Amino acid sequence: MFDQLFSPPGSATRPAPPVAPLALLLAFLGLASILSGWTGIGPSPYFLNLIGQVAAFGMLAISLDLIWGYAGVLSLGHGLYFAIGGYLIAMHMVKVSYLLTSTPPDFMLFMGWDELPGYYAGLEWFPYTLLLIITISALVAFIFGFISFRSRVSGVYFAIISQALVYVAMLLFFRNDTGFGGNNGMTGFTEILGQPLGERATIAGLTGASLLAAAMALAVASRVVRSRYGHMLMAIRDDEPRLRFLGYETLWLKLGVWTLSAVIAAIAGMLYVPQVGIVNPRVLSPELSIEIAVWVAIGGRGTLVGAFLGAVLITTAKFILTAIAPDLWPFILSLLVLVVVVALPNGLFGSGETLRTRISQLATRRAARQAEGART
Amino acid sequence: MHRFHRAPLVFLAVCLALCTAGAATAETPLRRATLEQLCEKSVGPRVEAVDRLLTATAAGEEDASWTFAILDAARSKGLHCGKDAVPLLKLEDGWRDAASLAPAEPPEQKMKPPFVNLKVRASLDMGAALSALLAAPGSAAAESGLGEIEKRPDRANSAVIAAATALSENAPFVDRLGSIQASLDLASEVPEDRIAAIDRIAENPSERNRTALLNLQAELGGKADPVTRDALDNAIAEIDGWIALGAVASTVYSGLSYASILFMASLGLAVIFGLMGVINLAQGEFIMIGAYATYAVQEALRAIAPGLLDWYLLIAIPIAFLITAGVGCAVEASVIRHLYRRPLMTLLATWAISLFLINSVQAIFGTQNLEFATPAFLGGGERLIADFIVTWNRLFAILFAALVFVAALLVLNRTQLGMYIRAVTENRDMAGCIGVSPRRVDLISFGIGSGLAGLAGLALSPIYNVNPTMGTNFIVDAFMIVVLGGVGNLYGTLIAALGVGMINVVIEPLYGAVAAKVIVLLLIIAVIQLRPEGLFAVKGRR
Repeated sequence: MFDQLFSPPGSATRPAPPVAPLALLLAFLGLASILSGWTGIGPSPYFLNLIGQVAAFGMLAISLDLIWGYAGVLSLGHGLYFAIGGYLIAMHMVKVSYLLTSTPPDFMLFMGWDELPGYYAGLEWFPYTLLLIITISALVAFIFGFISFRSRVSGVYFAIISQALVYVAMLLFFRNDTGFGGNNGMTGFTEILGQPLGERATIAGLTGASLLAAAMALAVASRVVRSRYGHMLMAIRDDEPRLRFLGYETLWLKLGVWTLSAVIAAIAGMLYVPQVGIVNPRVLSPELSIEIAVWVAIGGRGTLVGAFLGAVLITTAKFILTAIAPDLWPFILSLLVLVVVVALPNGLFGSGETLRTRISQLATRRAARQAEGART
Repeated sequence: MHRFHRAPLVFLAVCLALCTAGAATAETPLRRATLEQLCEKSVGPRVEAVDRLLTATAAGEEDASWTFAILDAARSKGLHCGKDAVPLLKLEDGWRDAASLAPAEPPEQKMKPPFVNLKVRASLDMGAALSALLAAPGSAAAESGLGEIEKRPDRANSAVIAAATALSENAPFVDRLGSIQASLDLASEVPEDRIAAIDRIAENPSERNRTALLNLQAELGGKADPVTRDALDNAIAEIDGWIALGAVASTVYSGLSYASILFMASLGLAVIFGLMGVINLAQGEFIMIGAYATYAVQEALRAIAPGLLDWYLLIAIPIAFLITAGVGCAVEASVIRHLYRRPLMTLLATWAISLFLINSVQAIFGTQNLEFATPAFLGGGERLIADFIVTWNRLFAILFAALVFVAALLVLNRTQLGMYIRAVTENRDMAGCIGVSPRRVDLISFGIGSGLAGLAGLALSPIYNVNPTMGTNFIVDAFMIVVLGGVGNLYGTLIAALGVGMINVVIEPLYGAVAAKVIVLLLIIAVIQLRPEGLFAVKGRR
């Protein structure tokens, strides 16, 4: 029963999802956004900022779809990697504003510290921060993935312990003495890469960067899943023991895509935090991690485009509805999920194909029955 | 505290009826002096008056019931004084003359109770408690008064204790009075008395008695004679031994009670996830619904049959089970049923259901914590070893968990329904082939699993905060326990819950609550790495 859990989402004949148009569109929007920041014409900073946040979430959804939709590994703890990126960039910005204005961040005052903890050393250099974001997320993912995949923890068990891991991290980050701001998190950032965060040009730039990064993530992910390696991933998803019996070491195949996915998630977090201006342990809550899976499932897993659009749809609806009718939003979301799950098993953007195959299945079955009836 | 307040009032009414009828005893000089001093503003005379009154009462020179009536009234602001006026008592049934306790006319001039500060209050409380011992030995008021005195035995009036010991007939009462007397005797100058007191106190080990002896040791210093010093050292060593034992016992006890909560929270999940393979993220919300059903029963009883209110927890057992089982069945029939072929989707669907349930309950009941009455039989506890107290509410949780476990085992292993459930668990297709309807079994086991979660909510309601989001606190823990114990095995769930509960309680005092949780979760993750199917996995064809 459990190996059906991560069974392929639909028929094997599904045509390749059209990634290129979406990636090109995102890249175009990204450039347009940067241009709009330069020239000062175009949408309001608030609107630009929303687009940027949604794009970061979309990128996060792509990272989950890569491992869940293609390798069949469901992580309910992807918020962890998102948070690694978010927290590190927040540390970078805290360090920079501390050096510039010499006003200590709130948590230092709160804990009565005279200086930032030792691990803040060097974080004022952006390239070093970026390097750390990539290496730490990759390292954490590699270690966790290695011990889990090696002892063949898979399916539901993997989902649950990945959720437990993010829960543990949340409990740790809620502590005030860790140097990450504890309960309140970190906020009060002033600038990034020398650009003041409040200005429209910076906001447009961040939005453009998020859109471009999402386009990149789409391109890279689709490149990966179309390669020979991607085919092996899908083979793992469909029948991992068989691939092992054929002589492939699935451990390393899974680890590779798992680490890549974690890095993409971390970069999404890195882009997200400067745009919202705060990071706190809530990004580590199991709810956010489940929500990522919901985006992917609603959009349609194993399609990349669907995952991205699912995230865009849900987060946009959330932005709008929590402003208009905050009490109604949870009901709408839960009903939407139920409808999608029960009626459109492959998600909103992957369902057309299944509907068609389903109809053809019905037709063949009816034909078979009629043939049988004719015989008797 | 509130028990002590209410009991004297009832007692007072009875007592007043007696005294006023028997002796409208005239104003003695003692009574007049006492009342005068009690009406004063400054602290000193009032405390002095209480002491003098108590000593006189112990010596039999004053009626104990009058003493109690006055002191109890004074501490609850019932004693009204006015300038050049006879002090009056304002009781629930009207005004009385303070000196004779005879009914009196309401005052014409303005009278008010004198201000009671902390020191006076302590003195009056102690006085009322002490006089209750003499006024009605063996009554409930005397019982709760004794409890009050035991909190500060060193402040008790020695003469009253001696008189009360002479009056008392029931043995445990005399015993407790003896302990109080012993604490007073510690200050005695006579070495024999003091040694006897030390031995006496050592018989009743507790942190407080240990502190009393240590204080005495520090006070005496090198001045004490060798016999006293030896007695003191031995007594402290003996108490230390008992306290250590008590600490171990209370750690084990709180571990057990935590484990029983974990176990109750995961038992329903063990059935749903373990037996049916459905990842039910709404399990925590079933727990929440069980707690709300318990609350509804409590409120219904309050409205219809207040006499049964004390038993609401027991009355709610079938109701909480059935309501949650009903919700569970509805969820199964409407949503989960369509998803058995795609269990992954049950994860998202049940997440949506949990979101829906939380927000529905929030819309109906609001977000605040519910208030539960603690039934009389669950309040308090019994002191067993040193400072180890068996609290009844935790004992209830432990016993309830044990009972539910046994019941669940019986249903699964001894009934036909249980046989069907096991058959479907082990080999779904084959069970279907020999005439068991997997669909119906699924519906019933989902109902049982959610009903068990409802019982967990019931067991939690006297101990935990009950609010719409309470379930989310349990879901990760519950999943970890089920996975750790091994899927499809209730014994494994029990052992996993016990282990996690114990480890948690042992680590918590050393590194704090958050660290304990982190360490336990990391341990569980490590164990799952070593045994991916759980510690006690059942082999089955799935």
